[in-house]
Amino acid sequence: MPLSRFAVMAASLSLSTLTFAASPTPYPLTIDNCGVPLTFNQAPGKAVTIGQSGTEILYTLGLGDKVVGTSLWFSEVLPQFKALNANVPVLAKNEPSFESVIGKRPDLVAVQFEWMVGPQGVVGTREQFAEVNIPAYIMPSDCEGKDNLVGADGTRLRAFSVDSVYKTIDQLAQIFDVQARGEQLNTDLRTRLSKAQARVEGKRPKDASALFWFSSADLKVDPYVAGHKGIPDFMMQTLGLRNVVASDEEWPTVGWETIAKANPTVLVIAKMDRRRFPADDFEKKLQFLKSDPVTRNMDAVRNNRIVIIDADAMQASIRMFDGIDQLASAIDQFDLRK
Amino acid sequence: MNSLPMPVTHTADLVCSQLCWSIKGTPIIKNVSLQVLPGETLGLIGPNGSGKSSLLKLLSGVRRPDSGQVLLDGKALSDMKRRDIAQMIAVVEQQAETSDAISVRDAVELGRTPWLSALAPWSRSDDEIVQQALLGVDMADKPRRAWHSLSGGERQRVHIARALAQRPQILLLDEPTNHLDIQHQLSILGLVRSLPVTTLIALHDLNQALACDRLAVMDKGELIAIGQPADVLTCERLSETFGVEAHYLTDPYDGTRILRFRS
Amino acid sequence: MTPAVLGRLAGKLCLHGSWVLAVLLAAIVAGIAIGETPISLSLVFQVLANKLWGAGFVLDPIDEGIVWNYRLTRALVAAACGAGLAISGVVLQSLLRNPLADPYLLGISAGASTGAVLVAIMGLGAGAVSLSAGAFLGAVAAFALVALLARSTGAVSGSGQIILAGIAGSQLFNALTSFLITKSASSEQARGIMFWLLGNLSGVRWQSVGLAVPMVLIGLAVCLWHRRALDAFMFGSDSAAALGIPVRQVQMVLIATVALVTAVMVSLVGSIGFVGLVVPHAARLLVGVRHGRLIPVSALSGALFLIAADVLSRTAIKGQVLPVGVITALIGAPVFAVILIKAKGGR
Repeated sequence: MPLSRFAVMAASLSLSTLTFAASPTPYPLTIDNCGVPLTFNQAPGKAVTIGQSGTEILYTLGLGDKVVGTSLWFSEVLPQFKALNANVPVLAKNEPSFESVIGKRPDLVAVQFEWMVGPQGVVGTREQFAEVNIPAYIMPSDCEGKDNLVGADGTRLRAFSVDSVYKTIDQLAQIFDVQARGEQLNTDLRTRLSKAQARVEGKRPKDASALFWFSSADLKVDPYVAGHKGIPDFMMQTLGLRNVVASDEEWPTVGWETIAKANPTVLVIAKMDRRRFPADDFEKKLQFLKSDPVTRNMDAVRNNRIVIIDADAMQASIRMFDGIDQLASAIDQFDLRK
Repeated sequence: MNSLPMPVTHTADLVCSQLCWSIKGTPIIKNVSLQVLPGETLGLIGPNGSGKSSLLKLLSGVRRPDSGQVLLDGKALSDMKRRDIAQMIAVVEQQAETSDAISVRDAVELGRTPWLSALAPWSRSDDEIVQQALLGVDMADKPRRAWHSLSGGERQRVHIARALAQRPQILLLDEPTNHLDIQHQLSILGLVRSLPVTTLIALHDLNQALACDRLAVMDKGELIAIGQPADVLTCERLSETFGVEAHYLTDPYDGTRILRFRS
Repeated sequence: MTPAVLGRLAGKLCLHGSWVLAVLLAAIVAGIAIGETPISLSLVFQVLANKLWGAGFVLDPIDEGIVWNYRLTRALVAAACGAGLAISGVVLQSLLRNPLADPYLLGISAGASTGAVLVAIMGLGAGAVSLSAGAFLGAVAAFALVALLARSTGAVSGSGQIILAGIAGSQLFNALTSFLITKSASSEQARGIMFWLLGNLSGVRWQSVGLAVPMVLIGLAVCLWHRRALDAFMFGSDSAAALGIPVRQVQMVLIATVALVTAVMVSLVGSIGFVGLVVPHAARLLVGVRHGRLIPVSALSGALFLIAADVLSRTAIKGQVLPVGVITALIGAPVFAVILIKAKGGR
């Protein structure tokens, strides 16, 4: 957070934080990380991140100087951290090797996805890290209420809760003994959320619905859309939109026929840098929607109620709040009452 | 066995000259020249591996020689289309098998293939020809029988019927009685002899070969003798080529000469 | 050719052709009427009436679009692919004298998978080349390799060599596919490619119809033209040569045709198995081994089979689409067992 904004926030919220004063962390600190206890004798001096989300949270908490290695990037870093990030070594654009991680002698590894360090960890298991005395911290948004051994992207047993993001921030702040900043960040984020909700209040009909389209193996083939329990579903629920997809999987494939018949009020399509499938390009997605003889008759396409959101905003990260802001402002402008 | 009311046009002659053929460097046929006279039954004999089957394959055009020519009615086989050759030459292989559920009639109808085309589809005359062929091999009462239910002898008779349905002028048979029991061996040989077509038949049994008009003897890919059976199958020849001691006996039953082999 | 013969032929064609068409039409309408979302039969007919002769019913454009652009095209392509794969199976089983031959023997499905994986996972073509195009190129490359392998062995009759070369080529490309998937696929990519590998008719539109239907009609024409030649292979290729068939030429033309038809089908809808293997055997049980009847009956049976399989794949589990290849395998395997038992019982 830029310093000036931090000062303003601190001043205006000092009253509310008096009751819950940011106290320094009592060490040794033991936290329960999805069933695995992690112990810290002091604030970590060096950290390695696996997953862009963790990286950006640490930067936002002002801990950029402690990050000695990053990996698993999906897009460019948030613009405000560009200069800072340029000085941090990138271990790998995708999964790093175990040795490259421990070679940095970190005191903490912050992991965005459990399948990186879980029982079948791609980088290495938590036990392996424990053997060299490195605590591997998995963000609760990916391991709480989720069974990552079932299903291609893991299966959520409970719906995603934004509290898991706040918890991540809290826990990381606790570990690094910067609890004041953590609380500020969380309060800031909570405010953004309620502001977004307020913005769309009264702007949408009772049964407004939406669909999130991520990408497709081929443009005309059944697309990957957001099901229940995931982050997009959370975004829709926060803003009072019904998800037209019935599946509980995070990213199931659903036929265009079913989607067209469900006729969502708003369509959200993902924008990303990756160009693996032709449908990765949001322009191509738009082109398809407008030219396909069935989809072009959908209400959302005919009235141009299509929102383009970064794919990263659809993951459990700070960018999620950017996505919610975008969606809220789009709904504000659309005037869904038709 | 009925005598066949098969129309006989002029029978063609089959001549091969200087045929040579080798597989992967090993010579199989060395410089063979012979002529099959129109209307005759020419027997082809020789020990195993002498090249009888290979020679028949070359004569029917199914394989190409490395050098030398086969002339059918004066025309080189290599210049002719397969269809034209098949209208004049029919082949009965040693053992042609199928695992398909084909009926006797279907198998014989295949013999009409070289005569059918888009412009000349199946007609009544084709039915009649097939019927005659079945009659000729005494299988006309079982046209619907399935292939796998036939005995070895019956299968071979169906193959011959198929060859007959082709209405060839020259019939090539490769040891057609090899794995048949004695009754069928005799009946098939009798049938083949009675056909008014030029026949070249490879045989294993030397006594059966005596009944042919002429005999050609092959050994190690070469044609070493051709002529009347009595002239060709002398005791010296039997000893030299076939490695067996034998002498002729006259059967008091009907005066025919047969070979007696001594161990 | 006498007028009498012509008349008989035309009469036979009309009689048989008309009931074949009737059955096919009924199957296609059934395929249109049954799908993911409920659409009534009367609505289907109204849409068809609108589109075919401008009847002017006022209908929801989404419903109209679904019936005309999604379901009709899918039924047509399912029919074409089913027919194409079935006649390819018939031809290969007859030519190669092997009852286990199927259209994928020539390495085509394996090559198509590798091509699709190269596009989807390695990013070949950077999003400009579609899965289908990549699959087609892969299929052609694999077939070329197999053909080269078969020829270089220098065999004269070749059926054994073709089978061996096909197996070798398929194994090679399958191994390549597995390697590429394990090396570089994220779970999402792997899922995408798995779905395609098992057969998927959801990406089909009118362009696919424009490719599949003419292709299968050409294939049908070529195979039917050669029906007598195929019959002649009954006792082997030497026997066929003795019956006047130019064996080499016929083999090349038919195998090339089969390869092309299969490559086009696989690139449009992925690898759908069991159709090319089982349908010919079922057709043989029905009408015997003469190709004049076997080929059209196999084509029709294949078409019906795949339409039914596609409908099942969309309706078996609510809200989820199963890959068509799974359905054809689940039905095809037990049917194949029954056929084998019946055939053996006859011996």
